[in-house]
Amino acid sequence: MRLAYWMYEGTAHHGVGRIMNSMRGVHAVFHAPQGDDYVTTIFTMLERTPAFPAMTTSVVSGTDLARGTIRLPETLRQVEASRHPELIVVVASCSTILLQENLEIAARSSGVACDVLVYDANPYRMAETSAADGLFTELVKKYASAQPLTTQPSVNILGPSSLGFHARHDLIALRRMLQVLGVAVNVVAPWGASVDDLRRLPAAWLTIAPYRELGGRAAEYLEAQFGTTALREAPIGVQPTLRWLDALVAGLNTVAARLGAPAVTLPPLTAFSLDGMSAPSNVPWFARTADMESFAGKSAFVFGDATHTVGVVKFLADELGMPIAGAGTYLLKEADWVREQLEGYVSDEQFLATDEFQTVAARMAELRPELVCGTQMERHSARRYDLNCMVIAPPTHIENHLLAYRPFLGFDGADVIADEVYTTCTLGMEKHLIDLFGDAGLEHPDEPVEQPVAAAPPNGAEPHPQATLAGPALAVAEMATPTTVAAPTVLAPVWRHDAEAMLKKVPFFVRGRVRTNVEKYARERGYAEITAEVLLAAKEAIGA
Amino acid sequence: MPPKASFTREDGLYHSFCGLVSVGWLYQKIKDSFFLILGTHTCAHLLQNTLGVMIFARPRFAVSLLEEGDLSSSQPQIADQIDEIKREHRPSVIFLLSSCTPEVMKVEFEGLAHSVSTPEVPVLFVPASGLDYTFAQSEDSVLQALLPFCPVAPPDDRRVVFLGSVNDAIADDFALEAARLGIPVAGFLPANHFHELPPIGPGTVIAPLQPFLPKVANQLVNERECRVLSSLFPFGPDGCRAFWEDLAAEFGLTVDLSEREAAAWERISAHTELLRGKKVFFAADTLLELPLARFLRAAGAEVLECSTPYINRRFHSRELKALEGVRLVEQANFERQLRSIADEQADLVISNIITANPLIGRGVVAKWGTEFIFSPIHGWAGVNTLVGLFTRALRRHAQLDPLGLDPVWTAGVMPSAPREVIPLQRQ
Repeated sequence: MRLAYWMYEGTAHHGVGRIMNSMRGVHAVFHAPQGDDYVTTIFTMLERTPAFPAMTTSVVSGTDLARGTIRLPETLRQVEASRHPELIVVVASCSTILLQENLEIAARSSGVACDVLVYDANPYRMAETSAADGLFTELVKKYASAQPLTTQPSVNILGPSSLGFHARHDLIALRRMLQVLGVAVNVVAPWGASVDDLRRLPAAWLTIAPYRELGGRAAEYLEAQFGTTALREAPIGVQPTLRWLDALVAGLNTVAARLGAPAVTLPPLTAFSLDGMSAPSNVPWFARTADMESFAGKSAFVFGDATHTVGVVKFLADELGMPIAGAGTYLLKEADWVREQLEGYVSDEQFLATDEFQTVAARMAELRPELVCGTQMERHSARRYDLNCMVIAPPTHIENHLLAYRPFLGFDGADVIADEVYTTCTLGMEKHLIDLFGDAGLEHPDEPVEQPVAAAPPNGAEPHPQATLAGPALAVAEMATPTTVAAPTVLAPVWRHDAEAMLKKVPFFVRGRVRTNVEKYARERGYAEITAEVLLAAKEAIGA
Repeated sequence: MPPKASFTREDGLYHSFCGLVSVGWLYQKIKDSFFLILGTHTCAHLLQNTLGVMIFARPRFAVSLLEEGDLSSSQPQIADQIDEIKREHRPSVIFLLSSCTPEVMKVEFEGLAHSVSTPEVPVLFVPASGLDYTFAQSEDSVLQALLPFCPVAPPDDRRVVFLGSVNDAIADDFALEAARLGIPVAGFLPANHFHELPPIGPGTVIAPLQPFLPKVANQLVNERECRVLSSLFPFGPDGCRAFWEDLAAEFGLTVDLSEREAAAWERISAHTELLRGKKVFFAADTLLELPLARFLRAAGAEVLECSTPYINRRFHSRELKALEGVRLVEQANFERQLRSIADEQADLVISNIITANPLIGRGVVAKWGTEFIFSPIHGWAGVNTLVGLFTRALRRHAQLDPLGLDPVWTAGVMPSAPREVIPLQRQ
């Protein structure tokens, strides 16, 4: 047992909800106490759903347990009558799974005509990601049926899902590229797919499954069972997108040759731009401009799921030329894969696999990188430590659910990520001047006053300044040091007045890093006090 | 016996949260407390998604996480965690909350709490599991756990104790108002700090501020032999007048607040103008529904239905009487509510946060009920906020360009959305 304050991944039943809320004509029934219904809010508020998510909690109450009643059959009948789904997926909760009821028998006794799948998601062994991917794979295995290939080149896109990170935007980016190639989309799943769409999966020439977290196993199954080639790379960044396009065209042309169909050709790259006549991405030129010289040496720390951590590390290093101070993932099951992918980018010491946010925050505080790429929890920790942070992976906050087109995949995605990096970091000529003179009228109070996070919690409520009894609606922030975060300094050396005065002359936005580095220097050398001399020596020794 | 109010009970297939959400306001209200939930990943995920934990760098609540290996032992070991909490948060009191999984495991919570409790830092068991408690209900459990720590007042201590957590500004309002009317105040349950709990005895009059506390009210009567005020809850001009007049009467004071009430109505006349004749449907789950519906009816609206998770005939008797003629439903069925909303063409639906956006997507003006829990709507000073919460949704909806329900404006937003919108509200 351990104390948990916050978790990266959601529960297994949330993962099931993500698949069911992605698909059309299906429904999830949670055999669970009332409170498990909270997951529905995450969809209705974060994704601002204009319709009711396809999920119902079949309530199990204390009275039901005492009386031995099980309401599941009646709930299934009600769901069928009101929603007419083709498939209902039943899943137990962390509490009801301990009752060891036979839900198969209970479901069968309902007499509903639609398909009912009792999904065996053990919430003590599965969290959100593996439950979602497991269910999706099971559904693909259940429904995909052998059939002739489409006459025209076509692909499946597997992986985009409800509450997937920028999934909707990625899907647009993928569709745009396929359109330019003249390749039809056979099926997208689970996003918007019906059971019938799953049946049609084997008609595609090739399957695109860019996310390590969802869709990959189903793509592998289609490859093994029906010979549909799986393209599993994530086209994050310009070079990966070019390689991805080559692999896609090659894969399709293998099928074309077999069918005796005309080959797919790669058009001029300008065809991939929004107007069809510009550079497909502005990143290659942007990265070489004089403006970006100031980026040289800016280090980044990247932490997130598997796909985005790997993609973003490579993009920052290969395409923007940023040093990587460290990287890691909270998806422990994927840690080996991420580690392997990042070979040559981060050392073993720089790699972090943990699902405890406190450990990540401590690493950030220690490294003080110029850029943190993380989840919304890292953004929060970054504010605490006055670091620049952009969100590159789930779990997200309502602030990450913006309206404009912001893909992470493809050429369009490369531009979006580069813009985000550029606006998140402190930049340019301005920076040189500030570094040189230490002030540009931007001086803030010495101790950064932490602002309450501007946005509401994921439920998206608006803040009420007049109320102090804060709850989800309010997000009245209580800001204090997370004591659970292992403090980077155990014994902090004391700053003498002269050194403190000198420190004040350091530009405010690097002051925190200088302070940490000097303290580390002093500690290592056993100084109990930091005087002006120590500060100078530290600056000389470590360039702080 | 209280009058036999008529309400129907349905099958409870509605959307809601469990009692753990009460932690969201209670840990902030009781400033030297810590709330430890013995639970699972689900409880932690619930709290971080409904309480907006992301922004709290140091929440005074946590989940003692039951993982697979812990399921076999019927009595979990939490002593180390209690030590950790004491070390890092230095609370004066720790509340140990139950949840569904340990309830199913039949963890003996009283004993568990007792085993780690010390006179310096008591650890108090609070039943809050989603198997039995919904939404604001577990505040009732927390107050029951606190009751033994309220000093016993002598019989001649004739003062009022206000029951239910409200913020400091509201508490000040109530203390001032009481002083103005000549009503002596012993304090508030809960107080801001564990050691500030009010003395309660046979002379105490308990004035409930929140409608979701019937059990602790009952316990107060049984264990401390005090009187519990039976009146309207202090929401809206009508509720405030009844509350203060009845409370004054408990102290032998006769006050007439009719002019005060009239002035309060007058001040919100621009709002009540808008509400007059509007058909309002309560499909919320906060347990504030009865007094809110009563206020809205007094403000001139037509309440089509008032659904609420639980109705207590005794504790809610005055509200029930004031709501005579309104369809009252306990443990509602959500699909049936949707049909009723469509049949009766509600102008405004007070819903759960879970269902607000989908209701709006089907052409309904929806206001999510949770906001009432987190807004200062009590007392005379809260009247404006209270009425404004109802009218804001109506005004905004009227102000925006008519969208109609043309699905073109929601295309692509939700992958599972049906291709056609079936409006609940005729345009």
